[in-house]
Amino acid sequence: MSTLLVWREKLQRLYASYSIYILKGIQFMLGLLLFGLINYNIGFMKMASSVICTIGLAVICTFLPMIVMVMAATVLILVHFYALSLPIAIVSAIIFLLMYIFYFRFTPKKAWLVLAAALAFGLKIPFVIPVAFGLMGTPVWIVPAVCGVISYYMVDFVKRSATALKSADADGIAANLTSFTKQVLGSKEMWLMIMAVVIGILVVNVVRSRAVSNAWKVASVSGSVVCLIVAAAGNMILEGNISYVSIVGSAALGIVLGLVLEFLFFSVDYSRTENIQFEDDEYYYYVKAVPKVGVSAPKKQVKHITEDTGNKNRNTEDILLTRSLSKELGIDKEKHK
Amino acid sequence: MLDKRKIRLMTKAAIYEKEYGEEDLKITSYYKKDYASLNTWVTLIWITAGYVLLGGILFLCFGEALLEGATIMRLVFLGAVALALYLVLVIFYGIGAGNFYSKKHIRAKQRVKKYLRDISRLEKMSKKKEIYRS
Repeated sequence: MSTLLVWREKLQRLYASYSIYILKGIQFMLGLLLFGLINYNIGFMKMASSVICTIGLAVICTFLPMIVMVMAATVLILVHFYALSLPIAIVSAIIFLLMYIFYFRFTPKKAWLVLAAALAFGLKIPFVIPVAFGLMGTPVWIVPAVCGVISYYMVDFVKRSATALKSADADGIAANLTSFTKQVLGSKEMWLMIMAVVIGILVVNVVRSRAVSNAWKVASVSGSVVCLIVAAAGNMILEGNISYVSIVGSAALGIVLGLVLEFLFFSVDYSRTENIQFEDDEYYYYVKAVPKVGVSAPKKQVKHITEDTGNKNRNTEDILLTRSLSKELGIDKEKHK
Repeated sequence: MLDKRKIRLMTKAAIYEKEYGEEDLKITSYYKKDYASLNTWVTLIWITAGYVLLGGILFLCFGEALLEGATIMRLVFLGAVALALYLVLVIFYGIGAGNFYSKKHIRAKQRVKKYLRDISRLEKMSKKKEIYRS
């Protein structure tokens, strides 16, 4: 355990030193994965689904705020839908607009959560989302999670029935519009997964915020199990075609992710928990104090046994230059103080 | 000579300007009540538009079934339900947006206050230095 904690400290130090590059790297990878998945699944417009376009969009979005990536993904989806059929693009645009009106106007900075939710569903690991959102966020994160699920199922439906949707002629635009809306909003599988995710997030969040030992572990395990039960039971009742391997695998992955998140963000030592009771004029206090676990990573110290005579002249010059600069900037005086 | 306190204050001010500066100054140019009520009205307009769109989409889905064998009484009932839902939505978002934007204004004002205090400290430090030099 202590080795892991030392590793965590080292990781933290590494992140502190190179956070700009690490964040930009993650943003680039996320963009690549997102635009790649969109183009791979619904690449109806050949020009927009090229590799150059995918990489170009990922690169551009790397240097801009996350909300731009969300907007770019939305536009890319709509462009592909438009290439397939106008009614589908219209209905999808309205659904995206509704998401913006009812939620993202207030918290545009949280829009990336929709991407995370949709990506998790796209990668067939849906139950990672309730655990991650429940542990790291608040119950309000249910809204972006639900938006992500709806976006994923919309894209998935178009992908599965692309041929039928494309073959509809111009006269059937109204019929196409109605049938697409009906099928997207009436998808039993989508509503079942929304229910599982919502219940999962609530369970994880409620258990995590209890003052019980190993709350994070219990929360991630219970959240994953609840999601699994809801999805499996719903699938049986509704006679859906959700893959059991996918839901069991993602629930297991959710538990693992919960453990990783706990290790990274909530390392405490429950064996040294102290229960204290005291009172003042107005209240009795029952306090539970759980100490944090922290290990300082050892620093490497290089000791020079032999002196490098070759660099002696350069070192002397460096020392003289540093001294004169320090004197000029007044750093020298401060150091001696 | 480098002044650490001055550098710290300048860094703090620069970070603030980069993160919130422009938006906060825009927010605090309004009184809290004005800012909250203006944005609540804007939200209500958006909500109305959203409700119409949502209604349109739902009508596309279930319109046929709803209008099948429709009587005047049934249409009036549907209209009343739609109106009631709209009112609930407007009240919910109206109260929520009012609180949200009031809190946003308060937070922005606090940040601006801190920023201005840092700036005035910096100014005092510069003046002191000038006096010392002269």
